[in-house]
Amino acid sequence: MKDTPLSNCERDFLIKAIEEKKRLDGRQTYDYRKIKITFGTDYGCCFVDLGQTRVVAQVSCELVAPKESRPSEGIMFFNIELSPMASPAFEQGRQSELSVKLNRQLERCLRNSKCIDTESLCVVSGEKVWQVRVDVHTLNNDGNLMDAASIAAIAALSHFRRPDVGIQGEEVTVFSPEERDPIPLSIYHMPISISFAFFQQGTFLLVDPCEREERVMDGLLMIAMNKHREICSIQSSGGIMLLKEQVMRCSKIASVKVSEITELINKALFNDRTARKAGRKCGFAESLPQERITALKTDQSEVEMTDVSERASDIIQKAEAPPPMAASPVLPAPGVGQVGHGLQNTWGLEEDEEQEEESSGEEEEIKMEEEQREKDKTTEAVVEISDSEEEEVVILYPETTKKPKNAGSSSDQKGAAASKKRQKK
Amino acid sequence: MMEVSASSVSLREFGCEQTLLSRPDGSASFVQGDTSVMAGVYGPAEVKVSKEIYDRATLEVLIQPKVGLPGVRERSQEQCVRETCEAALLLSLHPRSSLTLILQVLHDDGSLLGCCLNAACMALMDAGLSMSCLFCGVSCAITADGRIITDPTAAQEKESRALMTFAIDSTERRVIMSSTKGSFSVHELQQCIAVSQKASEKIFHFYRDSVRRRYSKNL
Amino acid sequence: MAGLELLSDQGYRLDGRKAAELRKVQARMGVFAQADGSAYLEQGNTKALAVVYGPHEMRGSRSRALHDRAVINCQYSMATFSTAERKRRPHGDRKSTEMSLHLKQTFEAAVMTQLFPRSQIDIYVKILQSDGGNYSVCVNAATLAVINAGIPMRDYVCACTVGFVDETPLADLCYAEESGGVSSLALALLPRGGQIALLQMDARLHQDHLESLIEAAMTACKGVSKVLDEVVRQHLQEASVLTRE
Repeated sequence: MKDTPLSNCERDFLIKAIEEKKRLDGRQTYDYRKIKITFGTDYGCCFVDLGQTRVVAQVSCELVAPKESRPSEGIMFFNIELSPMASPAFEQGRQSELSVKLNRQLERCLRNSKCIDTESLCVVSGEKVWQVRVDVHTLNNDGNLMDAASIAAIAALSHFRRPDVGIQGEEVTVFSPEERDPIPLSIYHMPISISFAFFQQGTFLLVDPCEREERVMDGLLMIAMNKHREICSIQSSGGIMLLKEQVMRCSKIASVKVSEITELINKALFNDRTARKAGRKCGFAESLPQERITALKTDQSEVEMTDVSERASDIIQKAEAPPPMAASPVLPAPGVGQVGHGLQNTWGLEEDEEQEEESSGEEEEIKMEEEQREKDKTTEAVVEISDSEEEEVVILYPETTKKPKNAGSSSDQKGAAASKKRQKK
Repeated sequence: MMEVSASSVSLREFGCEQTLLSRPDGSASFVQGDTSVMAGVYGPAEVKVSKEIYDRATLEVLIQPKVGLPGVRERSQEQCVRETCEAALLLSLHPRSSLTLILQVLHDDGSLLGCCLNAACMALMDAGLSMSCLFCGVSCAITADGRIITDPTAAQEKESRALMTFAIDSTERRVIMSSTKGSFSVHELQQCIAVSQKASEKIFHFYRDSVRRRYSKNL
Repeated sequence: MAGLELLSDQGYRLDGRKAAELRKVQARMGVFAQADGSAYLEQGNTKALAVVYGPHEMRGSRSRALHDRAVINCQYSMATFSTAERKRRPHGDRKSTEMSLHLKQTFEAAVMTQLFPRSQIDIYVKILQSDGGNYSVCVNAATLAVINAGIPMRDYVCACTVGFVDETPLADLCYAEESGGVSSLALALLPRGGQIALLQMDARLHQDHLESLIEAAMTACKGVSKVLDEVVRQHLQEASVLTRE
């Protein structure tokens, strides 16, 4: 599905508004939208709302073999999934330019800045290390996905706890959370990406562009920083031409914003920790806004069960009795040598013929069994039944002659099958 | 004959929020205990020529797992949800157009498919799409000793002998879709259906309450 | 890496350069007759080949055509033999897709695309030997190729990677320095106006040092631009001599 195009009027209006230092949602030039951070029920799950933009990050881990070049370092894997839920323009399973851009920026922001101690993720050097995987799903795209994703990813990583492992000689035991408390990752610092949008060839600058603003902007500058005012990555994109002074100004703004956001993340983590310690319910379900008119919640409820049993048995009684099970082994079709029980063959055989023969075949079989028994009595010494004998057996039956030649020969084979069965017994 | 003990048959607390995302035409998140699913609906909109159906809308259902990429499990769930929605929606009202339903799993603690169905229905309602009836999803598990548990948690699912999920319509409480796993007798199946039908009343009641609450204020 | 001393006490780097010294840049323009423009550029041990086709009609999907300017299509690839370890995929992975994207951005800023509406310019760059500063070498090679193709640009685009060690910015990093855990900054500059077409930085650096690092990068870029200018002039001279005869 294509994105709804932006009309020229809207475009002109937006640009004019920006020139007058006004924004659609009433923010100032350097204002961020409201950030809300909530954590899920399990460790390492984080929801971030940045205004209307919404993302969820989930951290997971597994034991894998390390990379050959780095045998004693854990592996970090990042993936931003541009789910079609976020915007109709996102298609599933396609590597778009935007997705490459976001993924690489997140990698650069979190992996290259070495904010996580990967050496502590090593279990057995050269054999087993933890692979930590961060999945960021976009739920709603109202601009500035990068900042929301970077906040969600680092908050989820700080919230995550991996299972404890014990090593005894060669044996590695992974303890479940019940056995031993899971341990948090060691995080050195929290890089957070801040986006700046440029308009009119860099004359105007906005922090945290919303979706409409992103559509009319000329270019974007993303600066990832931590609260120690260390720049972790800078990336400019779009065909803009920046001046050095602009970059310097952006980096100053970024440092202020980052310290604010870091504070917010720490507060959210602290709140979650205290809630967990107190044994209260925490998680996404609890964060459901109760006061909104669009939301409703019920308590646990019992289901009325008084007449369920009766109704069920009623239905069964009313229903037709299931077809009786076939008691004896059935030969599904002529030409099939079958031993023991089995299902009916559903291969493309002509139905009518099959039916006919089945009944006659059964008769035959019984008769043949009798015949065989007699034979066994008389010639007990004979174990092997030769072909000629079998032919004789078939010829004994007059009804086979009534049938077309083809069927006759097939029942012949069946006779052979039946006799073989007896032999096995 | 097997007895149904009433104690195990209960629904976890559940909640729902509609219109929580700005981009999709309809959205909802449905929470059942700890299990929670978010749904978004786009459409009716332009359809790709290759997917166009001349007399009705093309419905596409996507389920996004929380970790990793969608696999076979998600595909089969997508199929179940899509068939249910197709039965309920009046697709012939929008020929040559596309409807896209995206379900994002936010937490799986059992009865995931049931929760997906509920979220899907709420999102379709929110999008204002015409439906012949509403539907809801109910999951039942049969434990090793033959008890029926409705709306099982992940732990209960693991210990159960059989797991069934039914989609039930709101008009006649008929079963639209069933998905089962494990072995059970015909009697047990009928009992589970009867239990699910009972449980569905609760859920439909909840649907009604939440919609009533939503439209309680006159503008 | 603790073992490697990237800057000695005497102020020399691993390969004997001074901190602000560039590697030797050698370049040739018009190496292929078939392409509209081509160039080969060596910067120290990093060698790159750039080819430009266009401006021509839109190829592939016509829907991508822009009504007011040309579309720039870039592809970056690395030869399988370009690194010490054989590369499996010459292009198509995340890193090279990103590099293609960055090249595209750089040249969208520099090339006067509005002169060729509804058309397409293809820029293909291949790294033959990689020894650090791949992005900047690619940009420099592509600039020469675009000039060779006769496509108007606002200015030369020159790129350079700079690192930061012991409070000193190092210009034009080689592979050993790049992998030594230095915070590196790649910058593409239009030297005349001092405009930055692309800025990219990895690894940690304190904010206070940013200004000096950008300053160093810009100086280095201006140095590169001088060399490129010389190459272009020489090429023109050769070409004009040939045509006169």
